[in-house]
Amino acid sequence: MARKLVLLVLLALLVVPTLVGVAQEPQGLPVEVPGGRANLFVFDQIFRWGSVGNFNVWRTGGNTPHHHALMLETFWNGDQETGENINALAISGPVYNEDFTEMSVDLREGVMWSDGEEFNADDVVYTVETVKANPGLTQQGWHAQLTKFDVGVEKTGEFSVKFTTLPNPRLHTVFESRWAGLYMMPSHYVSEVEANLADGETLADWHWEAEDVIVLGNYLPMDVDPNGYWELFKRRDDPENSVAGIITGGSGPPYVMSIFYGNENIKKAIAMSRGELDVYFDVDIESFETTLDTTPTARSWYKDFPWAFPNEYSTRQLAFNFEGDPLLQNKDVRWALALAINNVELQTEYIGGIAKVTTFAVPPTATMSGVYHEALEPWLNELQIDLGDGEMFSVYDPTVPDQINEWAIAQGYDVPGTPAEIFGTGWWKFAPDAAEKLLMKAGLSRDGGGNWLTPDGETWTLDLQSDPSENDAYRMGQAAADMWQDFGIDVNFITLDRGAWNQNHFVGAFEVSTPWMSFALPAGDFWPRINGLHSDYYAPAGEDYRPLGGGKMRRLVDPKLDELLDKMEGIDPIGQADQNIATNIEFIQHWVENMLDITCIAFKKLVTWDEKYWTGFPTAENPFAMPLYWFQGGKYAIQGLRTTS
Amino acid sequence: MNLLRTYILPRILQWALVIFVGISATFLIPRLSPINPVDEMIGRMTAFASIDPHAVVSMRESAMALFGLEGTLLEQYGRFWARLLEGDLGVSFGNFPRPVSDIIAAGLPWSVGLLTTTIIISWTIGVFLGALAGYFHNRRWSQFLERFVVMVYPVPYLITALVLFIIFGAWLQIFPIMGGSRGEPALTWKYISTVLYFGFLPALSIIIGAIAFRFIMAKALTTTEIANDYVQYAELAAVPKRKIILFYVARNTMLPQVTDLALAFGAIFEGALITEILFAYPGLGFVLYNAIYNADYNIIMGIALLSIVGVATAMLIIDLLYPVLDPRVRLR
Repeated sequence: MARKLVLLVLLALLVVPTLVGVAQEPQGLPVEVPGGRANLFVFDQIFRWGSVGNFNVWRTGGNTPHHHALMLETFWNGDQETGENINALAISGPVYNEDFTEMSVDLREGVMWSDGEEFNADDVVYTVETVKANPGLTQQGWHAQLTKFDVGVEKTGEFSVKFTTLPNPRLHTVFESRWAGLYMMPSHYVSEVEANLADGETLADWHWEAEDVIVLGNYLPMDVDPNGYWELFKRRDDPENSVAGIITGGSGPPYVMSIFYGNENIKKAIAMSRGELDVYFDVDIESFETTLDTTPTARSWYKDFPWAFPNEYSTRQLAFNFEGDPLLQNKDVRWALALAINNVELQTEYIGGIAKVTTFAVPPTATMSGVYHEALEPWLNELQIDLGDGEMFSVYDPTVPDQINEWAIAQGYDVPGTPAEIFGTGWWKFAPDAAEKLLMKAGLSRDGGGNWLTPDGETWTLDLQSDPSENDAYRMGQAAADMWQDFGIDVNFITLDRGAWNQNHFVGAFEVSTPWMSFALPAGDFWPRINGLHSDYYAPAGEDYRPLGGGKMRRLVDPKLDELLDKMEGIDPIGQADQNIATNIEFIQHWVENMLDITCIAFKKLVTWDEKYWTGFPTAENPFAMPLYWFQGGKYAIQGLRTTS
Repeated sequence: MNLLRTYILPRILQWALVIFVGISATFLIPRLSPINPVDEMIGRMTAFASIDPHAVVSMRESAMALFGLEGTLLEQYGRFWARLLEGDLGVSFGNFPRPVSDIIAAGLPWSVGLLTTTIIISWTIGVFLGALAGYFHNRRWSQFLERFVVMVYPVPYLITALVLFIIFGAWLQIFPIMGGSRGEPALTWKYISTVLYFGFLPALSIIIGAIAFRFIMAKALTTTEIANDYVQYAELAAVPKRKIILFYVARNTMLPQVTDLALAFGAIFEGALITEILFAYPGLGFVLYNAIYNADYNIIMGIALLSIVGVATAMLIIDLLYPVLDPRVRLR
């Protein structure tokens, strides 16, 4: 009897999963839409939502990724592929008066809210005044920015507005999206909500339910997973009246869904192979290769090598804590660390050859190369450092992209452009001998085993922290650790979870780390991106820098940087573009000469889509928009999609 | 009456004290962490966009007021108990302004559903098979089963789950790799079947290891128990084997097994973190993990409250049940 029972239980364990599996339609998407999968575009949600079901995106804590591309509009969208600002709700660029106390904007006519009301100057006036008046509407700090400059706005026509401000040549950046720009409110709707708020309530308390949402974008929220794993949107009835509809002429898929499969890269590849994910935003090279093997209809920006989209505006660097290891305060030591890195090997063996090289924190996109990298090339070629024995050493190696190109050809890859177009700029020479002289100059020495000793005679130990969830940064860190170890430095490569890693940045508990940064906005302006580096926002190591508002994780106090930042602040980035760029170049030169960090590569995004159900995503062959669909300006990529059926 | 005063009442008082101390400790511990929820929120916002430093300072001040983090620790503690006694768990800082009760309500049914099912199945099968294998320990099927279980048990849960994921999710592709169900929640077979379908792999991954653990425990207890004279006497007296196993041996091994069962139920509110991450399955485990990561005090409090009450209550019930299950406890 017992044997029969045991067999029965074991049999049940084998049979039940098979039956349950076979009995179901073999697809694992958690939603169903009219017309089925052919009507649904599924994209990778960049993280799991916590605050779900409330579409009041102006309040503290609102989710913005994807929402701003699908639902929300502002005046201008920065396109990271072209470097241009696309006129969205504005029809032209901002016009300032001479002292930058007024900014006039002409608005686009014919854009409709999804409830049929026309967007006009009243919406702009209402939005600006409402956000300025409500401290609880903190999204992206717009309330504080409007308050800081005491911004006012008046309607000068049905489709034109004039802003007043304390002198500020960059007021327009509030309405200009790289990530996001001030989201317009439907004044005819929100004013009624405001009028009906209970005593003591503000618009920050307002819960905007999915079914009540009115949008200027092309999609309306339809259903939301209370656990934050997915959201479902339906196309508005008149896509031709949305900004993206007007600009692209496309209508976009009838339904779109964002879905979170988790942070594990391989799960996204598996989901795509199952036909349950049409596009993912990035993975590591191995998971991407799995996608190519398992999903024949998938591709990324380039059809073949180097596949990845190379133009997202950010770069990755080995950053120093200037209040960590005292040796790192010495410029010669920092330069020695840079010259001990073989960036050709780093870019090829560790990154797979698919990210562009750069020496400073501006990605060498087609636009930015023309503005900054080409302008700095002669200076970099002339740049020399004193090795301490009377020898001046030329540090720059312009052949780095050619070397990577040779590696790629040796791998059997076809390179779809010149080495500079595909692999970026030159980099620092791999020169361990020069690095050795610099460390000697700094008072270090080697022991009998070739290991570096500090001036006190102790073994020089360097901590390098990295977070594996950013796979390129992590691999860059691994490469640097390996190369510095080979050079004789005792490197502790410390792998930390994102939370602990961030926390160490906040309080200055690191020596070297692997963050990311871009000095530049897509249009090339620096100040809005880097003004937090000013020493006004300095907090000593051990104290959290965030309460001061800046971005001083490096604990770097440099009067020259402050001087340049103060100078940038007063320059009109549009009307005085040449002067602005010249100051920015001066900033880069100071940063590089002093090796304030070791920038190695630009961002790459293996944003990859499967053409099984949808086609028409932007590609290197047809770069009509950036494929970065999670930014506010990513809407154009989705709007241009066509069904393959 | 004597039982009430000497046995039941002290345990109820102990239960209340455990809950009070546990909740107070859960209030205090996250606040001793260097992570500040306001700074975490601002860190998340500035990770995407460059925000004017003055704007960040202003946002910070605004968020401190909104989150109710102003005042001394003692004042916050007082406000916390006043709110808790009104049944208000507050709002989540990490998911501001979503109420904690709303977040817990979204994840709780999935954790309770998945873990209750897996505990019942694994406990029943594990104890049953373990008892049989322990009683018939010389049989070939028993020895085979034991060897198999001993081989399965040391395999880390993550590996088991990963193997199932790869076989059924990636290779055969017959089970989903994310989510808990499909369609609008309803008491219809159509919806319930999707809950079973989506929950199958996560449940199976938990059940395999849990059965192995309970099998080993039940077999060890049974093997010890059958060496007792009364079992041999019963066998010599030709008492039916079914009766010996169920009413003599199994009952005498039940105390630790019931304790294990009750503790497992009490721990349901902690969720199943690895399962939830691997299968992107809804539940409280990942919510709690994120809350700790983001210093989301109120969510930590809410889930810890459930967990403390759950475990303490489970222990209370066990304590109260012991005299019923085991006459020896009653006599003492």
